[in-house]
Amino acid sequence: MNAPAGLDLVSISERVQSEVQRAIQRSIKGVEYLASSGPALGSTPKDILSSRGTMNLYRYRPIADEIYRVPILIVMATTNRGYILDLVPGQSFIEFLLKRGYDVYMLDWTAPKLEEKRLGLEDYVLDFIPHCVRRVQEDSGEQDLSLIGYCFGGVLSLLYGSIFRDGPMKNLICFTTPIDFRGMTLFQNFSDRRYFDVDRLVDATGNVPPEMILSSFEMLRPASRGISQVQLWDNIWNDEYVKSFRMFDRWATDTLPLAGEYFRAITKDLMWDNKLFTDSMSVGGRKARLADIKVPILHAVAEHDHIVPYEAARHLIAKVGSTDKEEVMLKGGHVSLVAGANAVRRLWPKLDSWLAGRST
Amino acid sequence: MADKSTDPAALWQTMLGEMEKGFNAFASQAMASPEFSKVMNQAGSAGAGAQRQFGDMMEKYLLSLNLPSRAQMVDIGGRLQSIETQLSEIRALLRQSGGAPDDIEASATAPRPPRTKRPPSPEGTST
Repeated sequence: MNAPAGLDLVSISERVQSEVQRAIQRSIKGVEYLASSGPALGSTPKDILSSRGTMNLYRYRPIADEIYRVPILIVMATTNRGYILDLVPGQSFIEFLLKRGYDVYMLDWTAPKLEEKRLGLEDYVLDFIPHCVRRVQEDSGEQDLSLIGYCFGGVLSLLYGSIFRDGPMKNLICFTTPIDFRGMTLFQNFSDRRYFDVDRLVDATGNVPPEMILSSFEMLRPASRGISQVQLWDNIWNDEYVKSFRMFDRWATDTLPLAGEYFRAITKDLMWDNKLFTDSMSVGGRKARLADIKVPILHAVAEHDHIVPYEAARHLIAKVGSTDKEEVMLKGGHVSLVAGANAVRRLWPKLDSWLAGRST
Repeated sequence: MADKSTDPAALWQTMLGEMEKGFNAFASQAMASPEFSKVMNQAGSAGAGAQRQFGDMMEKYLLSLNLPSRAQMVDIGGRLQSIETQLSEIRALLRQSGGAPDDIEASATAPRPPRTKRPPSPEGTST
């Protein structure tokens, strides 16, 4: 008997065989998954240069025989850990930079302790970043440095750069950095000043708990966590998929609490009053206007960023006072822009080609 | 190979993807309303208040049992971290002064590479 037109019996048999094999693999790998821990993350050799409470400054050990004159200081977002930029060999942004001959430092954060609840925006912008900049200068022996800020690390870098106008920042690179907080429509609604009592929350909790930060991120795409678990089961036979899932899942759920006063300032000055965008922002009494940033700047944004939508990020390049400025939009989301297989092909080479000539 | 329109696994993946997109889009629309914000923040605020009261009560209970509270454990953790930090800084100072003990990895004290690197030439060869 002939098979109906369009139906390939050989192909169906191969498919059934492959699905049976995958089902067996799922059972075996599923047990392995539960019994094992994920890959070791953030393992590029580094030394701690300075540590004060929530603030840690690392220096990564150079790999290249010759390095560019200007070191890089990466400012990580305060809600998440820096190892997203140093996942595993071959998928580590830090390793990439070291191999390309950059001298790399990172300002990373740990959970603020209860007594650090009084840390405000001014502590981050007028103390932590300048302190790290000085330590990088001392350690490298160079006056200039390039700053790279990821997400809110980009906002902190912009505030720093607009206040410390006379340097020593030589170049500024922002990854998916919001400046017009009206564009973060869901976060805007979650923190609607008519219903969200930030004072009451901060007074009650001290530091804003990580569960709350994580929930607000997850609420932006409420179906995604559940679906990702189904997809994990579906692909559990695939070691590469599982490895990648574990890396990103661990990082995404490893959210940090935020210092209470810092969160209060962000909510009032940025989410409610949109002061950075309207040029009325000040930190510790010092004016922070984007137009005062004059150094070369690159802003990388992601086409499918659900955390920082393009509407929130798109005015940055127009508002800074630099003449040497560029925005680049790349495929991907908020995280895949900077880490993972897409970033290896897209963002990292772009950054290298932009920064190399400006690092001598 | 079966094409995507007849491959059940591919159809399942597509369906999952579409379901995720559809639900996320629907939820985003619902969450953009002021009513959602009102309800969410009322619930959140009540939760934070209850959590604080519960925390105070637990602290008193643990005190009565002569057990350390979470805050005290966190404090001890913080002190340990502070000791570790100070050790790291002492190591860094020792390294700077050239008196690094042997157990500090050699690569940390190794001479740094020269800062002479130039960007690759337009032809793609490093100079």
